[in-house]
Amino acid sequence: MSEMSQIPVTVLTGFLGAGKTTLLNRILTERHGKRYAVIVNEFGEEGIDNELVVDADEEVFEMNNGCICCTVRGDLIRILGGLMKRGDKFDAIIVETTGLADPAPVAQTFFVDQDVADRTRLDAIVTVADAVHLDGQLGEHHEAEEQVAFADVVLLNKTDMADSDQLGRVENRIRGINPYAKIIRTERCGASLDEVIGLNAFSLDRVLEVEPDFLTSDHDHEHDDDVKSLSLVSEEPLDLEKFQTWFGELLQTRGPDILRSKGILDFKGEDDRFVFQGVHMLMDGAPMGPWPEGDRISRLVFIGRNLDTMDLENGFASCRAT
Amino acid sequence: MPGDVTAEARQRIRRRGFEETALERNGLKLDTGAPVTAAVSTGAHVAAGFGDGTVRFFHPETPPVTVYAHRGAVLCLAADCQTGYVLTGGDDGRFLLISADGAVEEIASFGTRWVDCVAAGPGWRACSSGRFAHLWRAGDTDSRPFEHPSTVGGLAFDAKGARLAVSHYGGATVWERRDRRWKAKKLVWKGSHGAVSFSPDGKYVVTAMQENALHGWRLRDKADMRMSGYPAKTKSFAWVGDAPYLASSGADEAICWPFDGKDGPMGRAPASCAYGGKQLCTAVAGLVGLSGVFAGFADGAVLAGRLAFGAEDLVIKGSSGSAVTALAVSPEGWLFIGEESGRALWVKLGGVVT
Repeated sequence: MSEMSQIPVTVLTGFLGAGKTTLLNRILTERHGKRYAVIVNEFGEEGIDNELVVDADEEVFEMNNGCICCTVRGDLIRILGGLMKRGDKFDAIIVETTGLADPAPVAQTFFVDQDVADRTRLDAIVTVADAVHLDGQLGEHHEAEEQVAFADVVLLNKTDMADSDQLGRVENRIRGINPYAKIIRTERCGASLDEVIGLNAFSLDRVLEVEPDFLTSDHDHEHDDDVKSLSLVSEEPLDLEKFQTWFGELLQTRGPDILRSKGILDFKGEDDRFVFQGVHMLMDGAPMGPWPEGDRISRLVFIGRNLDTMDLENGFASCRAT
Repeated sequence: MPGDVTAEARQRIRRRGFEETALERNGLKLDTGAPVTAAVSTGAHVAAGFGDGTVRFFHPETPPVTVYAHRGAVLCLAADCQTGYVLTGGDDGRFLLISADGAVEEIASFGTRWVDCVAAGPGWRACSSGRFAHLWRAGDTDSRPFEHPSTVGGLAFDAKGARLAVSHYGGATVWERRDRRWKAKKLVWKGSHGAVSFSPDGKYVVTAMQENALHGWRLRDKADMRMSGYPAKTKSFAWVGDAPYLASSGADEAICWPFDGKDGPMGRAPASCAYGGKQLCTAVAGLVGLSGVFAGFADGAVLAGRLAFGAEDLVIKGSSGSAVTALAVSPEGWLFIGEESGRALWVKLGGVVT
């Protein structure tokens, strides 16, 4: 539609006090030679005054399109549209969410709004977690679980306040909810900005990096968290039509419980790998080049609630081409 | 069929787009480097806002006047046709009154909060920031704030300045002045509503929705009018012709809904003109009483269509590769075209179109 490229958007989540503002201040003040716009919410931990900071009220809107769990951030559509009008361009945009925010509407905005999708792309969801308090927060607030479940990167912050046992425990717990997120231990959000911004985690290419190790390893659960992950493998090729029917219905009916999904699929008769990733009921997929030499193994990954009630193993098995 | 776009011509347009025109070569061209964000006619002038905070006034006889108005982007622009001034809102949080000679007066400042929408009516001025619309009597320094359930998506006065329509999530609110007080009337329709406008006769209110649709209400009985079927969001609309028609962007040609008769567009199919060859129409302009519809497209082309059976489209500007983001036509028959690339064109249409 236009000659302009898409600007990457990093979504920053995390509970109040975890250290989001520390990270934002670093992004705004460090000499990194990049130009970042930062969209902050009105309940920020402390005021940040900078001409590249935009104040937002988180306005979660339901789309009038019949999609039952399709909510978007109306304020984000407006603000991203406004930022695209500026003569001076940004290298990236960072969106801070309130401590108790569900990350889904932010992510869904990039799937649903055509203008947002044309001009910007969701780069990654980065969750700042307090090494000492996350354990407790996970039990008390479902939002904390969602923030970990949606994360591409978890900055496990304030590690200097926790002992190694505590750190091991909290990391295990994060892994139990979301084995695919990269965990970075930091003290004062001291991670290199390259590990936080410009990750391209929502690009379909990245799905190919889903580690096969995670598919087999068991994670110890000290706590039985509500949100879990599940991965499925098939060494036999799949039937495209059967898969579409099963997966389409699954997202339609169980979408609210499926927080994130990813897959690399081998369809019978197709030379290319089919890659997708989804947020609740929405998904984006495309053929991503031929399979490498060797076995073609289809992989499907879910992070969500009540996954054990969805009969996913049998459903996926029934998609095999006969 | 005489006058209709032939299948062969349609094919050609799809393949190659439109070539540069003589009108275009003779027009005034500017390359500002900052996206054109909005344009309005004030009567004598056309004023355009840019992404670098400048506002430019174009006049048939004098060179453009550049005003350095906002620190960030000019987000919105409205013409005060009584005075020839424009109102602007910016992402620097300022609400400004600007005259064609370049004088800038700050009416209000909202700090880090953007001024998203502005509107002018006879004797009245309004802007919105967040959930609030703020209303001034022209010349007064004190404003009155009107709060809404969510961030304001659009603002418009009716022709008399007696009513102010404010769109937001879940519908629109019409504030009406009676006995020196402003009373709210709620218009409800699920979804998020953006740009808003009263029909010229004041009987209808129309909004552009977050979905690919326009929505309208007949104010007499709040009857809903769904205007849907667009392949993309409708962000630009204009009242044109005698009926009048509501010309709109969001398809591969200008979609024009009839607002004559008792029921307006209810149960009727829209007319269309200015076929852009598979390109998305991104901006429309026109004048009430005249049947010319100006349509700008995603590839930079601008066509003039006519709301008459068998009328041929006229190419005003060829395809440049950058989307048309603003169009404004002056009553004297001059057209302003602004692109996302920052290029702008000011052309005399002559009697050809208007």
